[in-house]
Parts: sequence; C-alpha cells; structure tokens
Amino acid sequence: MESAVEIRHLVKEFRLPGHKTPLRAVDDVSITIAPGEVYGLIGPNGSGKSTAMKALLGLVAPTAGTCSIFGNDSLKVDSRQEVGFLPENPYFYKHLTGAETLRFYGKLCGLRGPSLEKKVGELLELVDLTGARDRRLGGYSKGMLQRIGLAQALVQEPRLVILDEPTAGVDPIGSRQIRDLIFELKGRGITVFLCSHLLEQVQEVCDRVGIIFRGRMVKEGSLDDLLSIDDQTEVILRNASPELLAKVREAVLADGAAELIRAGKPKTTLERLFLQETLDRKEP
Amino acid sequence: MTATATAGRSVPPSNRPLNPRRVGVLMFHTFTQLVRMKVFYFMGFFAVILLASNLFNLQSFGQPDMEGMDVLRTIRSWSLGAMTLFSTVLAIVATALLLPKDVEDRTLYTILAKPVPRLDYLTGKLLGVLLLLFSSLFLMDLLMSGVLALRMHDVVNSQLAAAAKANWPADQIAAMRVQTEAQGVTWSLHGAVFAVFLRSAVMASAALLISTFSTSTLFTTIIGFLLYFIGNFQADARHAALGGTGEGTGPLAKAAGLGIAVIFPDFQLFNVIDSVIEGAAFPLSSLGMLTGVTAFYVILHLFVSWLVFSGKEF
Repeated sequence: MESAVEIRHLVKEFRLPGHKTPLRAVDDVSITIAPGEVYGLIGPNGSGKSTAMKALLGLVAPTAGTCSIFGNDSLKVDSRQEVGFLPENPYFYKHLTGAETLRFYGKLCGLRGPSLEKKVGELLELVDLTGARDRRLGGYSKGMLQRIGLAQALVQEPRLVILDEPTAGVDPIGSRQIRDLIFELKGRGITVFLCSHLLEQVQEVCDRVGIIFRGRMVKEGSLDDLLSIDDQTEVILRNASPELLAKVREAVLADGAAELIRAGKPKTTLERLFLQETLDRKEP
Repeated sequence: MTATATAGRSVPPSNRPLNPRRVGVLMFHTFTQLVRMKVFYFMGFFAVILLASNLFNLQSFGQPDMEGMDVLRTIRSWSLGAMTLFSTVLAIVATALLLPKDVEDRTLYTILAKPVPRLDYLTGKLLGVLLLLFSSLFLMDLLMSGVLALRMHDVVNSQLAAAAKANWPADQIAAMRVQTEAQGVTWSLHGAVFAVFLRSAVMASAALLISTFSTSTLFTTIIGFLLYFIGNFQADARHAALGGTGEGTGPLAKAAGLGIAVIFPDFQLFNVIDSVIEGAAFPLSSLGMLTGVTAFYVILHLFVSWLVFSGKEF
C-alpha cells in the first residue's frame, strides 16, 4: 500500500554566517506513515522536528534524502493538494473574518461557489466557531486561532494533516477540543502527522511515535512496542491480599480465591521514555 | 478538488504556475488587505484634501496676479504632484510590508503549504498593489477632473465676459477658448495620470524584488526610495559619463550604460507629465512606449523576484 508520508534519509544543513561548518538540523531521518495513521514526532526544542515537517511541505529543500506525500515528491506543488498544514502559533490575516479566512484558503485550493460555502459552514461547525464566523481574526483568542487554523488545514479535504504544536499556548479546555478534533480526523481516516511537547496528549492520540534528538531519530515504533519494558512482567490481580503479592504465580495457582486477570509487560510512560532517550542519553 | 486515487496511485491535479483564478484570489486578497490598512486611508485623505483645496483659492495666496489659465495649470500641477507623491510612497511602503509581514505572521507557510506556486504568490501580491494604485489614482483622476471642469467653466465664463467687454472679435474669442480648454480636462491629462500609475508600477515591482532578499520592511523601504532617486538622476549621470550621443564611447562603456539602465529604471522617461501640465499634448505613441518600458521593468523585476523567492527557505 502507498504510504501517506515517506521521508527517506533526510538530511538538512543550514549555513550560518561566520561559521565554516554548516549546522546539521536533521541528520539521516527516515519516517514512513501509513494512510489513516496518527503519527507523533516528539523531541526537545531545536531537535529538528519543525525542519523535518517543513521539508515534507517543501518549505525547505533537503540537503540530502527525499520526502514524498502519497507518492508525490514534496518539492512539487502538486503534492500539496493532499496536505493540510497548521503551523506553530499561526496568526493568519487579522483583517479577515473566520468565514473569509476559510473562503480565501478554499479558493486557493480551487474551491468555489456553493460547494465552498457549504464547506466553510461545515468546517466552522466542526471547530465550533459558527458563532464567530463574521468576527475578524484580530479579535480571536489563541484557542480560536488554533481552531480556525485547523479548519483552514482541512478546507480542501486533504488526506494528510500536518500539525506543528497544535496545542501550544492553548488552555486545557482548548487543548482538549483540539485533541477531540484529532480523534475526529482519525475517525474519518485522515492521516495525521503531529509534533507536540504535550507528551500525554501524544500518548493519547498517536498510533506510532518517533523521538528525534539532535537531528537524529533515536526511537520509533508503535506506542505499545515503545512503552513495553522487556525485562519485567506485569501481573494484575483482583482481590489479592498483600501477602499474596510475594508469591505471585504459585500462590495464585494454589490459592483458589484469587484470579489471575492478565500477565504481560508493564508499561512505562511516554514522558519517562522521552526523557530517557533525550536528556539521560549518554551518547549522541 | 482532492486528488483521485487510481489503482493505489494518487494522481493530483496539475497546478501549473500563473493560474489566473489563483492569482486573482491572491490579488483581490492583497487589495482587501491594503484597503483595510489605516495608513492607506490617511494617505487617501491627504490626497483628497489636497485636491479639494483647489475648489478654493488657496493656491493663489501670495500670487494675486494668478488668474485664468494659470489657475487651471496650478490645479493640474498640484493634483499630479499629489498623485505622484501618494502613488510612489504607497507603491514602495505597501509592497515592502507584504512579504515580511506574511513571513513574520507565518501566514506564508499556510499559503505555500497549499497548492500555490511561488510565482503565483508573488504575481498575486504585486497585482494586488497595482490594483490598489490604479483604483486610487482612478478616483483621484475623477476628483481632479471634476474640480478642473468646475474651475474651467468659471474661467471661461469670466474670460468671455472680459472679452465681450473689450469687444474682441469672435475668432479671437474662439482661439482664447480653445487655449483655455487645453488647460482643462483632456485625454492628455488622463494619459499623464496613467503615466503616474506606470511609474508607481515600476516602483512597486522594484520594491517586491528588494523585499525577496531583504530582511526587514525598513530596509526595503529605504532601498526603494533610494532606487527612486537614482532612477530620476541616472539618465543624467549616463549622459554625462557616456556623452550626449554616445559617439566615441567604447562598447564596454555602452554596455555599462545599458546595464545601469536595466538595474535602475530611468524615471526621467515618465517626466512627460511636466509638459502635459503645461498644456502640451501627450501622444498615444508616447503612452504606448511608456507602457512598454513599464511592462519590461515589471516583468524583469517579477522574474528576478521569482528566481530569488523560489530558492528561499522558510
């Protein structure tokens, strides 16, 4: 099956004034995202997340490697027909109202007439901004701007949505609304590629996660695989007394009152894994 | 709208550059953006006051001998001067604002993340500024024409009364009337306003080019005005350096002169406006030549802007 996103050995270097050696922002990163998947890219500030996203959108040209969206080269304009993008801290045009903003982006994607108007209405309802459709964006709150940003990203019904820190600076309620919208996109079969600092949220919505640190992909996989601890076993008991915990297996088998519900590998948290792979990492 | 999937392979619609509909969307958006900026209203207000002041006798303060055709000439001069000032400042400042503002607000990301070729973005922005310049000059031309028509009516009436009192012969009165009417609303005057627009179009495209590699609005504005002043004097400099006819100068010097003329637009070509103020006719061929020169500079600036902008990373 064709991948929604295919990043192959991406390298991006920036030449800094006064420096002979270029700064390597992204170092041999490869990411494959299947259609309908929600993929989270996490990493500390300056680790190369946004640069990788920009390379995928054709906003920066790779120094080496390739990026493609549904098989189309990211450097080609046509590939962007399939993508909706919400940048970090978007401001948009303050002189436009919510409805005008969506109309503007819709027209850029070739929409017009009644179908565009219908789409504008649907999207405003989806992001819960119908009441603010005729208000200029200059008067929108941060959370409202994020939501109108998400709506503009969806205007041409893209098969892939890229979200760069979608909940940055948004209050918990706004953050929850955006999380629900991501679930909604997932339900519609739309592929989501997001990067966020809110690890709990990433853990909640993503199917797979990649951890990027100093430009390199240090860990990648499904959440279930990543969060499993191989050398430990988790035992969940119901009605177990404290004494019973000392001799788990034999006691459970011997003790007829206790019930062995599940035996498997206990999970760490995404946050713990993130810190272990970044700050506690000994080698680059 | 969205891509169609055939046999597992997506076939997105072709997004060729210079799609008229997409460029039109960006043009009208830029026009709306600039119209909703208060700085434009202030400048428009300034221009309206200047033109409206011609309804009164403000321009003849300190010049009590000014009457008849001189009054009409002054109205033309003031009006075209105000239009030149307004259009030049607006062309440079408005264009200088557009690109850095889009980068700063990250709205550029959301536009370029849509299927929008960079050439379409630049063309739409430039055409939006040109539409604004054309619309505002058109309105100012209408206002000026109205004021001039009213004033000419008064002047002709007073001249006819004075001539009748002095018992001038009919042919002399008719000749005076023709001469006075030449100072009123003429096609040459509208042509001069169009020349003002053409000059501002060159400035706008030059400002767009500067803003593609500039890092700030201030830098673009300063370089834009510098370019405007150099453009007004470069012909004189070339003339002095290469000689009047160019005879006796080597091919290298001629090429250098041509290079300077390409880099710095020769704004003296647009000075036909001065002779129109004096009542001279503005032949259609001259207007055609000016339009051609403007098209050359605008297309050249747009092309170089696209070369710089297409390789730019955000």
